[in-house]
Amino acid sequence: MVPIVSVECVSKTYWLGKTEVPALRDVSLDVHCGEFLSVAGPSGSGKTTLLNLIGCIDTPTGGRVVVGGKDTSALTERQLTDLRLHRIGFIFQTFNLVSVLSVKQNVEFPLLLQGGLTRRERDARVRGVIEAVGLERQAAHRPNELSGGQRQRVAVARALVTRPGLVLADEPTANLDSRTGATIIDLMRQMNSRDGTTFVFSTHDPKVMAHASAIVRIADGQIVAREALNGAVAAGGY
Amino acid sequence: MRSPIGVARLLFPIAFRNLFASKARSFTVGGIVLIGSLVVVVGSAVVDTIDSSMRGSVQGSLAGHLQIYSARSKDELSLYGKMGGQSSQLEPIEEFGALRRVLAHVPNVKDVVPMGIEMAMVTTGNEFDQALEKLRADVRQGAQGPGIAARYEAHKAHLRRMSALLRDEIRDASVLTDPEALKGSEAVRERADRERAASDGFWRGFDADPLANLEFLENRIAPQSLSNAYTMIRYVGTDLESYQRAFDRVRVVEGTAIPRGQRGILVGKLFAEDWLKLRAARLLDRIADARTNRGRRIATDEELHRWVKELQGQKREILLQLDPMQAAEATARLRGALGSQRTELPDLLGELFVCDDRNFDQHRAIFYRQLAPLLQLYSVGVGDVITLKAPSRSGYMNSVNLKVYGFVEFRGLEKSTAAGYLSIMDLVSWRDLYGYMTAEKAAEIGDIKSRAGAREVERANAEAELFGESGAPVDENARPGRIETPAIAGTAARGAGSKHHATYSQEEIDSGVVLNAAVVLRDPARTREAMRDVKAALSSAHMDMKVVGWQEAAGALGQFVSLARIILFTAVFFVFAVALVIINNAMVMATLQRVKEIGTLRAIGAQKRFIIAMMLLETSAVGLAFGAAGTLLGVGAVAVIRLAGGFPATNDTMYFFFSGRSLLPHLGGLSLAISLAIVFLVSALSSLYPALIATRVTPLEAMQSDD
Repeated sequence: MVPIVSVECVSKTYWLGKTEVPALRDVSLDVHCGEFLSVAGPSGSGKTTLLNLIGCIDTPTGGRVVVGGKDTSALTERQLTDLRLHRIGFIFQTFNLVSVLSVKQNVEFPLLLQGGLTRRERDARVRGVIEAVGLERQAAHRPNELSGGQRQRVAVARALVTRPGLVLADEPTANLDSRTGATIIDLMRQMNSRDGTTFVFSTHDPKVMAHASAIVRIADGQIVAREALNGAVAAGGY
Repeated sequence: MRSPIGVARLLFPIAFRNLFASKARSFTVGGIVLIGSLVVVVGSAVVDTIDSSMRGSVQGSLAGHLQIYSARSKDELSLYGKMGGQSSQLEPIEEFGALRRVLAHVPNVKDVVPMGIEMAMVTTGNEFDQALEKLRADVRQGAQGPGIAARYEAHKAHLRRMSALLRDEIRDASVLTDPEALKGSEAVRERADRERAASDGFWRGFDADPLANLEFLENRIAPQSLSNAYTMIRYVGTDLESYQRAFDRVRVVEGTAIPRGQRGILVGKLFAEDWLKLRAARLLDRIADARTNRGRRIATDEELHRWVKELQGQKREILLQLDPMQAAEATARLRGALGSQRTELPDLLGELFVCDDRNFDQHRAIFYRQLAPLLQLYSVGVGDVITLKAPSRSGYMNSVNLKVYGFVEFRGLEKSTAAGYLSIMDLVSWRDLYGYMTAEKAAEIGDIKSRAGAREVERANAEAELFGESGAPVDENARPGRIETPAIAGTAARGAGSKHHATYSQEEIDSGVVLNAAVVLRDPARTREAMRDVKAALSSAHMDMKVVGWQEAAGALGQFVSLARIILFTAVFFVFAVALVIINNAMVMATLQRVKEIGTLRAIGAQKRFIIAMMLLETSAVGLAFGAAGTLLGVGAVAVIRLAGGFPATNDTMYFFFSGRSLLPHLGGLSLAISLAIVFLVSALSSLYPALIATRVTPLEAMQSDD
């Protein structure tokens, strides 16, 4: 089975002044279609860096990242942006909604950037995901009129509206209380089950990790374990 | 971005919602843009209006669309005089006809008007001359009938009183004179003449030989009159017919145009008002103008107060004009009008000239209704012949006597001393005053010299040549200087125009010298092309001429519009430069505050160009919204200024610039378009740097957890 993401011997080093800080060291990982993969580890372990590299919003210092069969190191910035737009959905720890747009407009945003759909198709698609995350009554609201959980639902809807193969979520429940966090993870899981969308999310919360089909444990910039959960098959590669 | 409409649907709400989300920033940025566009609209309306009104007045009264003058000229052409009031020193164009013929082939040229602008001295006459003129008329008529006899006696009594007054005045003034100067033979003779003219004996024996006695008064006494003054008159000599055809702003306000082929002068009305009018009347007019048109008050305005005081000093000028019969009439009229019990005319005049804000209008009306009909208000009137004297180009003084056919005004420039002082005379008389030595004349003089045996002598050898010590061979053929009379007579006849033939032909106009020429175009919209064509035509005819537009021809005054425009643009530039910096800073701050949002947009798939478009749209929206508001306010401000009567001209220079008493600004479509274009450009420019910063925001910023 061809992985949707293939991280091959990737290193990432940051510089803090003259000090070299290795964020990731020789990491290799395959993510397969339909996985609901959790990247777990303490703060500063390199979870976010790994997600950034997979999401093509950062470039590795060494090794390569292949997303949807494309070697990202060979792509231009514009091509990388296009790749993100069409193949990847993002859910951020702090929701990152456009505050001046309504729920519907926020969700519609990536579709408008993509183009290609008629207005009716677009409306239907947007309505569908908003209903799926249970926010049809708040569609006209602005983000500051919503609770944290609702905002993250909007973010989930925005990430899914383009029907990407891969959704990356960086600590999606970190800014939510545990109950709300659980509902968000449930929602993501539903989408994973319903559409077969691959999810990779980072967390350090064991309760959240428990929902994953597999957990990749990371410490000091290296993957230390990959565990299959809930009977799911843990794909190798590290 | 594959769906421009869809993207626009994204961009607009983001841009506008962001504007409303940060109202303080939007209003700060917008306020500056608003002020800037307000300044642009009102400023351009004012400058454009000055431009168009000045253009109309100057082009329609003197300049035409183009002016041509010799490229060898020392000065640049300045139709309204150089700084300091002198005329431009221009090299003459020897044959105007040749210039006219060359320009006749340029398609857009409608008319070519010959010109020469110079200054001459003109005598403004004096009361003594006027009184003598009246008495001389009586003598010519003969004393028939009691009415005429009484008038004759009254005129005699008037002159006698003036003679006595003159004697006393000069005696008083001589206290200040160097005693040695009074001992000169001419001074002694003048004093004796004055004593004689004021003596009883002279007037008792006057009737025995009135003509001889009049001649004595005219030749010996009138020239001593203290008020016998000259003033400088500025005039344009031109082909009157083509001038009237070409310049529609010129109108004869009194009298008639100079008939075709006749010599004559049309005196500038404002010049007459300021220099030829009775001083008391002039002061009253000035005070009235200041009160009516400029809202000034005698009680509070120091200058008006001073003018009212000066009125008291004008009694003498009036008293000198009135003979005893007129004086009695004036006394009766003033007593009635003022309701006064005084019986002496000087006292009544004193009462008339005591003015304050309450009685000024009434007293001025009394002056004009009751007194003015008895007075000669202007020292020169329609039908008079005046003598103009000017140093000719060849060095000697030329003079011409010219009939005053009327007074002229230049519409729009009536109150401007720069333009309104200009008089118009026929070209032939102008040439007489100008006295240019044509090649033909020079040849004639050369011929006279050779016949007289004159030759050029080096200054160093002059003495030896004169006294024959040089040893140089004496020209045996040289005859003692006998200059042939007809040649000199010819020159002299040119010098005194009045003795010269009174009429002239079109051929004469064409065949002589001019200093410059106005070119009037069929299609003024194509002035630039016409200038190019005229230059080409002159160049191919080997005529070394300068061709300039009306603004340049009008000299420093004409270039005021350009200056005003530069000042306006500089002011606008500074306003918008400040706007640019402030908008830039505000937008940079806004961009930095929105790094996470921009990073998110980039992360979820927005290209850099989307970010740039978003930033530009935001600033442009502010710029356009507030720019439009500023423009509307500017339109309103211009309307209010117009309703309030415009900007008043408070001095002569402003009269010239405004081409009238006030400036009523009007809006041009172009100014509005420029205003909005500047606003748009500044908005766009000021958001370029923030937009650049925005494009440098990476998608990684979206992942920062600190919100």
